[in-house]
Amino acid sequence: MSGIKAVFIADTGVKGPSRTEDFYAAFLSRVRERNLQDSVQLVRTEFSGIYDKGIFLRIWPGGVMYRDVPESRIDEIIERTIISGEVIEELRYTEKPKSLRVVLRNCGKIDPECIEEYIAAGGYGALNRILKDMSPEEVIEELKVSGLRGRGGGGFPTWMKWNFTRQAQGKEKFIICNADEGDPGAYMDRSILEGDPHSVIEGMITGGYASGAQNGYLYIRAEYPIAIERVRKAINQAYEYGLLGDDILGSGFSFHLGIRLGAGAFVCGEETALTASIEGKRGTPRPRPPYPSLRGLWDEPTIINNVETLANIPPIMERGGKWFSEIGTEKSAGTKVFALTGKVRRSGLIEVPMGTTLREIVYEIGGGLETGMELKAVQTGGPSGGVIPADHLDTPVDYEHLQDLGSIMGSGGMIVMDSSDCMIDVARFYLRFCVDESCGKCPPCRIGGYQLLMILNHIAKGSGTPEHIEKINEISNIMAKASLCGLGQTAPNPVFSTLKYFTEEYLEHINDKKCRSGKCSGLLSYRIDPDKCTRCSICFKKCPVNAVKGSREEGFTISSDECIKCGECFRVCRFDAVKVR
Amino acid sequence: MKKPDFEKIKERQEKLSSGWVRVGMSTCGIAAGADRIYGFLGEHLKKNRLDINLRKCGCLGACYAEPLVEVEVEGMPRVLYGNVNEEMALRIIKEHIIGGRILDSGVYHLRTSEPLK
Ligand SMILES: Cc1cc2nc3c(=O)[nH]c(=O)nc-3n(C[C@H](O)[C@H](O)[C@H](O)COP(=O)(O)O)c2cc1C
Ligand code: SF4
Repeated sequence: MSGIKAVFIADTGVKGPSRTEDFYAAFLSRVRERNLQDSVQLVRTEFSGIYDKGIFLRIWPGGVMYRDVPESRIDEIIERTIISGEVIEELRYTEKPKSLRVVLRNCGKIDPECIEEYIAAGGYGALNRILKDMSPEEVIEELKVSGLRGRGGGGFPTWMKWNFTRQAQGKEKFIICNADEGDPGAYMDRSILEGDPHSVIEGMITGGYASGAQNGYLYIRAEYPIAIERVRKAINQAYEYGLLGDDILGSGFSFHLGIRLGAGAFVCGEETALTASIEGKRGTPRPRPPYPSLRGLWDEPTIINNVETLANIPPIMERGGKWFSEIGTEKSAGTKVFALTGKVRRSGLIEVPMGTTLREIVYEIGGGLETGMELKAVQTGGPSGGVIPADHLDTPVDYEHLQDLGSIMGSGGMIVMDSSDCMIDVARFYLRFCVDESCGKCPPCRIGGYQLLMILNHIAKGSGTPEHIEKINEISNIMAKASLCGLGQTAPNPVFSTLKYFTEEYLEHINDKKCRSGKCSGLLSYRIDPDKCTRCSICFKKCPVNAVKGSREEGFTISSDECIKCGECFRVCRFDAVKVR
Repeated sequence: MKKPDFEKIKERQEKLSSGWVRVGMSTCGIAAGADRIYGFLGEHLKKNRLDINLRKCGCLGACYAEPLVEVEVEGMPRVLYGNVNEEMALRIIKEHIIGGRILDSGVYHLRTSEPLK
């Protein structure tokens, strides 16, 4: 069995039928001619992250990759590379992958329920060294050099948070991991906790040592049962190994860790609501300052960091702050994990250096649009973010650039939209989410959000007026300025940014009563074209509310008063006789 | 005071890592049926008396291809199979692990760089 050779073959073109089969057959016959079929295996593969490079080969052992390989060079590849182990330079593909796994370095590689695998992968090594050789000040200095900023949305420099808490006076201090991940469509933090819980724990212990906190909590939403289970196991193992508890690794430093469950209110991800929730109080925000780093949990100095922020700590401490600062851009160091979803061919969890452009993410990692339709916009930042239209696709993804465009980095949701997505519908979806999740404590958010939603409902239904646009701007401004917490302050962002880039679409809905994507069902009307109708009566039978009137003798019409615009008639008609407008 | 011997753990783990099968068992994988595949593989590895490590792991990020099963056998390239069902799981054992031949379908290659290695 030993000593096999393998050739992985893929057609990386994204248009037209795959040419893999033909190439595979041609390659196989050349291999058979030489009677090598037992030692050289040909494998049809799907390459992810390589597109439009024609027929693509990866040859094992060695792992050399060839791009745009024509059939005419098969013989040469067999002779030179497979048999003699030579590399054919002019076919060679050497481009580095766009994705880079720092946070996700262990996800999918190690068993998350096994601390030994984490240790074997280098885990807890940095902590061990820190406790032996570094002072808390040196840890914070290293973090400062790294340039790490919070991944939970705000982008606040992590070293400053840690330093505030370090310098603050308190009876005791805390560090909290915010794992309340509530943005619709986001699951980065869940994947980190499920795939590599120890890296978050190691990050927390490091934060405890640096700031003087001796107790920590992971605040995890109760809807994440697998993550909770894995974190619980990981904490127990860390205690068994003396990595948590009193006098960790003989350093004299003690640190204890527990789990607190969130009941799934989005607002409890806001840091002051979160600490209130842990204290057993109602989870509503309070005015800041004082910031939690000075007065947080039980009014004591408290670091609150996002899951991904903390998972970045061990590699920074292992490799040094300078190494980290060289990844990404000057002001946004490191990488960011995104949940890439929507109309993209390869949806999933990706990690890229900051500064990677949206185009690279959508086309070079995601493989472009699944539908073959035109890309319309990319949504980032979830309910607090906005849309970035197609003509800004070359924007580098970092905190500043996204903000300049009226969106935010957010926690890492990234939804690709095509021309079948209606921007009013998108704005309405996120706004409704915020209205549902508003805690109701302050009027700008409680009342403003609801009014804004009513206006969008009017526009989507066809009863919008030009004055509504002014109202949107007025209410949004008030909400952004006067709301107590980030939820209300950012809730108008999706409306703002869609209005900014897609004003035309808003006006079409208002003036022409038309939704170009056909999403706003209130604006649709169905009609039967008598010239095409064969009077088969299927729509008459299928309409759930009997809005199709008439008979096989007289022909059929749709009563627009009774029609609920479900589209059933349109779907069942085999003669293209039902028309939508 | 407890203190893990980091070097010893690393050595022990390295010995374990000569041959293994890993199943992506995060929420995304489990939703696609990874826990069933994990159980199925365990049962059939045992039936065939194969001395190979069956392990869980987190999410590789390729949600479109779950369940994902990665196989490392000495002398063969590491191979990632996607959309694995029970029929494929059986073929992975019979053809790949026992027979030493990579399956001719369902193979994925994810391109990422890892600066820590
Ligand atoms: C409504 C609302 C929800 C939030 N939800 C989360 C969340 O789920 N996870 C998170 O890490 N941060 C969330 N944040 C941000 C936190 O308040 C806080 O800024 C963050 O946890 C700080 O960690 P970082 O500095 O590591 O980013 C939310 C903020 C608001 C206003
Ligand atoms: S902005 Fe909204 S969620 Fe935040 S405190 Fe006010 S009402 Fe509550």
